Amino acid sequence: MLRTSSRSKGILMSIQLKKTKQARQALALAILGIGVLGLAGTVAAGETVKFKESESSFYSDLFDQNIYNEGVNQLDLGRWGRKLSRKPLPSKNVNIFDEVPDSGFFTNRQGRERLSPEALEKGYQETSGPDLSKPLQVTAGEQRGIYPRFWVKDARGDEYLLEFDPQGNMELVTGSEIIASRLYYALGYTVPQFTILRIKPEQFQVAPGATTWEETGFKKALSQKRFEEYLMVLPQNAEGLYRASACKIMKGNYRGIFSFESRRKDDPADLVNHRDRREIRTLGIFASWLNHYDLRESDTLDISVEENGQTVLKHYLADFNGALGSTQEGPKEPMLGYEYIIDYGETSKSILALGLREKPWQKKWRLAGEKIQGSPAVGYFTNELFDPARYKTQFPYESFRLVTHADGLWAAKLLMSFSDEDIRAMVKAGQYSDAKNADTIAKTLIERRDLISRYWLSRANPLDGFSFSGWKLLFKDLAVENGFASQEGTVYLAQVMREGKKEKIAQTETKEPSVNIQPEWIPENGEAKILLRVRRASDKKTSPAVTVLLNAKGIQGIRHED
Amino acid sequence: MEEPLATKLEEMTRKNKKLFSFLCLGLFAFALIAYGEEKKADLYAPVYTKPLTAQPLKGFFSRAIELPFKLAKWPMDQGIIYTENHRLDKKTIWLYEQTLKQGVKPLFGFTDLSVYPYFGAELNLLALARQKEKYPDFFATTTLLYCPTVFFAVDSEIGAQRIGGTGFHSKGIVNYDLEQKEPFYGIGPNTSRGDGTSYRIETTQVGARAGYEFSPTIDLEAGFDYKKVNILNRAHDGKGDIRTIFAGQNIPGLGGDDLLDYSLTLGRDTRDSKDDATKGSYQKFLFQFTDGVNGSSARYLKYQIDMAKYFRLASPRRVLVTRLFAEHNQEIDHGDIPFYNLSKMGGAGANTRDSETARAFVYNRFYGESVLLLNLEYRYTVMEYKKFKLKTAFFNDLGEVFGKIHEFRLKDLRESYGIGFYLSYTRNTLLNFSVAHGNEGTRFYVKNKLAF
Repeated sequence: MLRTSSRSKGILMSIQLKKTKQARQALALAILGIGVLGLAGTVAAGETVKFKESESSFYSDLFDQNIYNEGVNQLDLGRWGRKLSRKPLPSKNVNIFDEVPDSGFFTNRQGRERLSPEALEKGYQETSGPDLSKPLQVTAGEQRGIYPRFWVKDARGDEYLLEFDPQGNMELVTGSEIIASRLYYALGYTVPQFTILRIKPEQFQVAPGATTWEETGFKKALSQKRFEEYLMVLPQNAEGLYRASACKIMKGNYRGIFSFESRRKDDPADLVNHRDRREIRTLGIFASWLNHYDLRESDTLDISVEENGQTVLKHYLADFNGALGSTQEGPKEPMLGYEYIIDYGETSKSILALGLREKPWQKKWRLAGEKIQGSPAVGYFTNELFDPARYKTQFPYESFRLVTHADGLWAAKLLMSFSDEDIRAMVKAGQYSDAKNADTIAKTLIERRDLISRYWLSRANPLDGFSFSGWKLLFKDLAVENGFASQEGTVYLAQVMREGKKEKIAQTETKEPSVNIQPEWIPENGEAKILLRVRRASDKKTSPAVTVLLNAKGIQGIRHED
Repeated sequence: MEEPLATKLEEMTRKNKKLFSFLCLGLFAFALIAYGEEKKADLYAPVYTKPLTAQPLKGFFSRAIELPFKLAKWPMDQGIIYTENHRLDKKTIWLYEQTLKQGVKPLFGFTDLSVYPYFGAELNLLALARQKEKYPDFFATTTLLYCPTVFFAVDSEIGAQRIGGTGFHSKGIVNYDLEQKEPFYGIGPNTSRGDGTSYRIETTQVGARAGYEFSPTIDLEAGFDYKKVNILNRAHDGKGDIRTIFAGQNIPGLGGDDLLDYSLTLGRDTRDSKDDATKGSYQKFLFQFTDGVNGSSARYLKYQIDMAKYFRLASPRRVLVTRLFAEHNQEIDHGDIPFYNLSKMGGAGANTRDSETARAFVYNRFYGESVLLLNLEYRYTVMEYKKFKLKTAFFNDLGEVFGKIHEFRLKDLRESYGIGFYLSYTRNTLLNFSVAHGNEGTRFYVKNKLAF
């Protein structure tokens, strides 16, 4: 019995072992199968990524940003934690050298290499603009207020969106749109092609089946008569030409807009939340430079295109008629750029001040005699009482508020990469009939560039352009180089830390923008961590640090303190 | 023979060496440039300290807290996007403008007595009959207003706003008004809220007006009206009929009346906007004689002064408004003043059908032969965005109802104070949210017009 029992037990055991082995084999096969399927799926997904269309509109932007997000952000415990601990949230898409690598959002252009004046003036161009060898076919229209805009097709089959200037403000909207497109493009953002178009009325032809959205909110067939009525409200120059900004309709599949907050979950290349992308955060700074108060999500475009056999998303900034001194309806109103549409902070302050508080824009407007002093082609664009820290786009995007010192420095560096001549070259693209107008705009942009850069370079660590040569760590003090601070009285403090530890090995001070590196500071198979700070005679505070990782081969990493 | 060959070879070698050196130099320069380029390009290389990974925007708890709001947001967003994509906003404005063009002006607002809004329309009969262009100085309008459980009114006017290009004007009026729950707490300054009830009042009015406009700001108008007033019973919150509640008290007019009104009104208005004035003033002086007919004992005189001044305090964004309203009803020849035509105070209204503005008190809180009311309001702009404006107002209403002039007592003055937020677009009030406090508690108002 016992024998039988032990035998059967043995058989049972061997059967069990066999079963276990089989089960293991089956499991291994299953895992392998899943792996192969997953791999195949990934490959297949890589080839045929399908992007959903994310919709937005002005009103939904208003609701989302001004009401919903302003409310639910108060329920974000992490945000409160950061506020209370005063710990900024660093940008997550910066590389080891504290730079922003190229992506579907941003391509380093002027930052990488100074563009020629011709390239700056030209901006992004696929064609020289609509081909006027044959009349433009008007395929659609839209009336906004009293002014229309048209979608047209030219002789080459390219489609364009034409926007015009309002009466009494010839060159205002079109000039602003063209210049802003050049500036954003040179900065590194993806923009469609914008060109100035001068056109006679007879060079338009209403295409069969053309429709128009009337101001009444109804879509109607666009007749030749209606089209001519539209044209009647548009200003013409002395030669009877209409002036329009022609935005080329980009080829590819329209996939809605991109958020300034969260990443697109359907895009495998979009891993970082947009709120944490440095180039998205600093859009707020660049908008302040360009006085682009209506920079908003609903004016962006996501277009999927085929690149190297793969479907990728390109993220465009698309509408710039609210830049410089302009809005779509005419010159900028005085409060734009100073307050959100619903500005809880400003309104609360005003309520508490019992009407005794004069807001900066009110003061500026009062000092201007409550009227626009400049040319109708320039609109309301001055630097009087401009404060880089207080500029507001019409919607309160959280990403713009999260700008850290390091982000600000990056933006300032980009801004300062444009010389006065570069800015004049881009303004030239506005093709103003009176050179004085171009000069006023360029001058304002140059001044504003300096105001913004000075602001960020005085708050962030302004050291950049690091190189390591002859056991010397060389760098540039951007504040000194750009004339925002004096070399005299400036001291650079260097602390050498042991890699991965908080232990200080050495400390040195220098008045020159270089630090002598002792070979013993660099471990044999590791890196020295050098923290550099700036102290100026004019400022009691020491600047935030910039950390440079160094080994015998050279610089291995740079990170400015947030 | 050998010598030249050697020289030639030597020369060739030198040339080759030179060429080689140039080549080497070129290669070196190329390498240097390439190295430089590579080094520069490296600055922007996608090399990160940590690999990029997808992370949620917020922590787990924050996301959990936000979830219910997020669920509500989605349909809101979709609705908004649908509205904009289909231009429903523009269609609505177009529809409104079209109805105006056709001679129909939609009306909408809030009363003090109901959370439900009132709605209705003003019908421009000349425009509806396509005769407005033919008779630009004439008008014929009918206004219908309805507020569920509160009132129903039809007012009609026909006349000329300018006769023969002069300042003379005249009109005839026919009105019907059924107020469903007019509060009544007794007569005098010291009535109790606990004793209140409400009544239904039905008024049918036929009248005529004639006047002269001395200037765009000054106008004199004489009027004659016949009014048939019926007081109807209405049990209020289980408190019973007005006759039961106030049994034994001498309340004239409880049985209704037939009245003849003779009035003279002098008005002056220099405000820069009727709805959102920042400067100017208005004054209105009314003298009225009312005589009861068909057995009515009513016979009295009404004197009324209504004036307000809008002071700009160094800026149109700061306005101090002072308003004085005084009314006295004087019975004559042993006649009576019907209770419903007495001076009334309470609520946030300030037009002929409302009781006068004392915002911490309920509408029609006080009835008396006379009323003296002072309103002081400081309005200041706190937000401007394009043509939108938000104003904050601090106000104080101080008033009293009393009998004869000598019965005015300072101790009977009723005070209310509060704060209001007025949102306007192109100087038309869209929203008036006010809260007022007084010795009878706190009252909230949501309206789409200002008291004055």
